[in-house]
Amino acid sequence: MRSPFSLKQEFLKKWILGLQRCRSSKKNMSIFKRKKVIKLSADVAMASARKGTTCWSRALIADAVKEGNADKHLAEKILGPASERQPTEKVPVGAMAYNKRIRSKKILKRSSVIRRTIKCAPQAARPSSIVKTLVGKRRQILRSLIPGGEFMNGVSLIEETLDYIISLRAQVDVMRSLASASKLVNLN
Amino acid sequence: MDIGEKDKYELGKRDEHNNINYQAPVLSSDWQFGGANLTSAGMSLVPTTNPLAIGSSCASASLVDSFGSSLWEHPSNSQNMGFCDFSVQNGANSSNAMEVGKGLPNSLRSSIDRPFDMGWNAASAMLKGGIFLPNTTGILAQSLSQLPADSAFIERAARFSSFNGGNFSDMVNPFGVPEPMGLYARGVGLMQGPDDIFAVNGMKSVSVMESQKSKLDATEATRDAGLRVENRAKASPLENERKSESLMQPNEEAKQGTGGSGNESDEAEISSRDGGQDEPSALDGTGGEPSAKGLSSKKRKKSIQDAEIDRAKGGQTSTKTAKDSPENQQKQSMMINKTTGKQGSPASHPPKEEYIHVRARRGQATNSHSLAERVRREKISERMKFLQDLVPGCSKVTGKAVMLDEIINYVQSLQRQVEFLSMKLATVNPRLDFSIEALLAKDIIQSRAGPSSTLGFSPDLSMGYPPLHPSQPGLVQAPLPVIGNSSDVIHKALSSQLTSMTGGLKEPNQHSNAWEDELHNVVQMN
Repeated sequence: MRSPFSLKQEFLKKWILGLQRCRSSKKNMSIFKRKKVIKLSADVAMASARKGTTCWSRALIADAVKEGNADKHLAEKILGPASERQPTEKVPVGAMAYNKRIRSKKILKRSSVIRRTIKCAPQAARPSSIVKTLVGKRRQILRSLIPGGEFMNGVSLIEETLDYIISLRAQVDVMRSLASASKLVNLN
Repeated sequence: MDIGEKDKYELGKRDEHNNINYQAPVLSSDWQFGGANLTSAGMSLVPTTNPLAIGSSCASASLVDSFGSSLWEHPSNSQNMGFCDFSVQNGANSSNAMEVGKGLPNSLRSSIDRPFDMGWNAASAMLKGGIFLPNTTGILAQSLSQLPADSAFIERAARFSSFNGGNFSDMVNPFGVPEPMGLYARGVGLMQGPDDIFAVNGMKSVSVMESQKSKLDATEATRDAGLRVENRAKASPLENERKSESLMQPNEEAKQGTGGSGNESDEAEISSRDGGQDEPSALDGTGGEPSAKGLSSKKRKKSIQDAEIDRAKGGQTSTKTAKDSPENQQKQSMMINKTTGKQGSPASHPPKEEYIHVRARRGQATNSHSLAERVRREKISERMKFLQDLVPGCSKVTGKAVMLDEIINYVQSLQRQVEFLSMKLATVNPRLDFSIEALLAKDIIQSRAGPSSTLGFSPDLSMGYPPLHPSQPGLVQAPLPVIGNSSDVIHKALSSQLTSMTGGLKEPNQHSNAWEDELHNVVQMN
């Protein structure tokens, strides 16, 4: 199990680097732009800290650099020149295929869900089916929360959730400490 | 049913009741008379309850009289009596029973009685029959026949049973009734907090009933369908049983509809059992089999069975998977082909095999589909256990649905926190210049009596983001030895990483090295 401290260190490093890369673009940014930059760089840093081992991290980066994204250039800038994206190298290449797969799988899932609901409609009164749909609905919600969650099912979903929660926690801790440190610095 | 009324009434009027002890003698006589009329075994305890009964809440003697008279008039309702027995017999332990029963007007009592009748019919049907005699339940039937809020009554009764500290539990235990009550309590307790009941102290009985009824009606939408009963003064036991069954089902559904209380093993079992089936829904009938058998095998989990039947799909002996090892059961052997390539056995087998050897449990279908499903389900449950440890507040929760709820909430809250913190950082830092020297300097100032050089150093940094001067590295390096052992450790640990990372930096490598080290210091200290 990766130690949380090393994860935080890794995340902080990448985050600061990403921020530095973005800093030169504009002198004056609106607060929302800044917030977007901060969040994006933090997310990308978190995802790259995983070095492509987890599905959600790959999906997150793929989402950031996909064609339809407004902040694509920002994300690419944060990620740095292509030579540095070693763990994520496969991602930009496969990003297009990835997105296509996402779309097709979404369609498949939707149709299967519809089929399943139609089939199970008369049995809705059974308590087992009710619980089944309860759990299923929650799984859907969880899938929507986790980046790239559309693909995962069953075991992988829970594993990805575990990893994602750990990463989010580390991210929150680092950001919080940085915020408090910055605030104190500004107060001095 | 009276008992539910009594519950509510007890909760609401405990204060009042204590003052009315003087009315006891009058009431006792009435109650005894009513008891005598009933002539049921259950009513044998009536004499014991009398002193308590009277001491109870009766708001007025008239109420008591009406109650007593109603008792006499309707000796035929079995359900009512069943419940009445319940409360009456336990009344010896709790003054509540009679308190509640006496004080309420007929209409209220009857309205409450009916839904509770249904519930208690179910209960009585489930319990050993000796306690509730059909003829004895009719005592309060007529008086309670006009209760409109069946569901409200059940909920109140359930709530009462779940929240009554000591008294009702005494009432409950002797009769072994906790189970059905528990069911309702579970289902109901979730819907509303007990605060409603307890907050009603001092209110009049009518208003109590009505307010509770209104609240309960709002939350009992799912149960109303099967629970509305008109006049049930002369309901036959069969009819009652039918209605109780219908009550049971919507109750169960409502319970599961509310996501389960998560506190009861029954619900946990159901939810966990059925939760495990959501994936195999795509399968055909095989999905249904393992579920039923899975439950039976769960129940028989403790017992070790020695049925070794060698089913030869491949005709090979089975090796226990890591997952099955805790099962400790002799099972049919089965081999499953999985293309995942995972080797289940804990031994140091080379991973070249692509099979997962799974054993079917006794009594389970040995179909490859069902076995694969079982393995999957076990994996999922194992991961869920990890999640339980990770997500705060999930340790007490059992059942997939509730746990998934908690996980979803946690992930959403974490994501929101990230948003909030990034906004905060954006406001704190107008130029996106998170300079490490500044943070480091602040740390030095805060945690240690830093050298004056750093003090002069930090204002320069906080002004803006100055390009690094050659002199600064010296200053930056100066605090390093001040900081302490931890930084050295980080130094060495990260120097290798840092050198690879610094390719794209504007600043020279050594600066970034120092920065990164100090960054980690900052993280550590904060």
